[in-house]
Amino acid sequence: MKKKSILTLILIFSSLFSKELELGSMLPMGDHRLLDIGGKYLSLNEARDENGLLVIFSCNTCPWVIRWEDRYVTLTEQFASKGVGVIAVNSNESNFNSVDNLEEMRKHAKENSYNFPYVQDFGSRLAREFGATRTPHIFLFNDENTLVYRGAIDDNARDARKVEEPYLANAIEAMLSGKPIAVASTKALGCGIKFK
Amino acid sequence: MKSTILIYIFLLQLFACAGVALVPASAETIMSEVQRTKGTHAVLLNVWATSCAPCVAEFPAIVELGENNSKLHVLFVSTDFPEYEKRVKQFLQQNGVAGKSFIKSQKDQAFINGLHPDWSGALPFTILFAKNSGDVVDYWEGEQPEIRFKTAIERAINL
Repeated sequence: MKKKSILTLILIFSSLFSKELELGSMLPMGDHRLLDIGGKYLSLNEARDENGLLVIFSCNTCPWVIRWEDRYVTLTEQFASKGVGVIAVNSNESNFNSVDNLEEMRKHAKENSYNFPYVQDFGSRLAREFGATRTPHIFLFNDENTLVYRGAIDDNARDARKVEEPYLANAIEAMLSGKPIAVASTKALGCGIKFK
Repeated sequence: MKSTILIYIFLLQLFACAGVALVPASAETIMSEVQRTKGTHAVLLNVWATSCAPCVAEFPAIVELGENNSKLHVLFVSTDFPEYEKRVKQFLQQNGVAGKSFIKSQKDQAFINGLHPDWSGALPFTILFAKNSGDVVDYWEGEQPEIRFKTAIERAINL
């Protein structure tokens, strides 16, 4: 009987973590304000631009982030001028007193030449709402705040020069051209988000 | 004398990893290995990386679960980048893992879906396979309390 109760609790606990946001969903928590490394509060609706919004769940230390974050910067360089807003979100609540604190985020952003806002997601609320599970984890919204792509940046974290399928760049190009996104949902390895 | 010591240290390093077989593998290869012990052992498959703190934290306890259960075969699959192979072998050896272990040698998407379609790619990832049927009994992403492991193992051994 005791074992059954524990199992039930575990299953309930697991179900509190939402499934990944479905394609076609509206941008959740658009007006929820998040603290940026610049010390100001910013919402997703404020970060978006006329043609869409790219949300990147990220952190300071994950090896997959370390390999992929050069592409955060190059994608922003490529698409910010075409009206796609970009925002990186750190939802590692259990590390907010250590490696993912605001000062470390500020340092990390500077060292890696981040050209987009980098915000703290207190309570990991945004991550739960999006069903984000790892870093990096990508969500691309179009000009109507509808999710059109989710998952990975490309097929090669290790070496940007050896990418064969630049999933996210292809998705943004298609979105901006009004064409269907051929590969709209992908997966990649990453560090589990550190929910508290 | 100095050269003797250096040779000794070199040989020690060489033999330190000798007991660990780290095999580059796709999801298909790993799943074949899982099915190989169908009928005799339940399988706990754990996907990890040396750079993943929660993976490293839970690792010794998983090794111990395998050691304490003769009907359970524990299979570790590292997702470290290939240039860290030596570090992976050293970690396995330090944690008493002898025999065959795998290191991912496939692109992420195919690897993730090949191990389990519900896995998002977040690490660590654990799957329990039943002893008799080889079917998946339980699986989870991230850390879980020991009771989850023990309950799943007990079910896997009896199914």
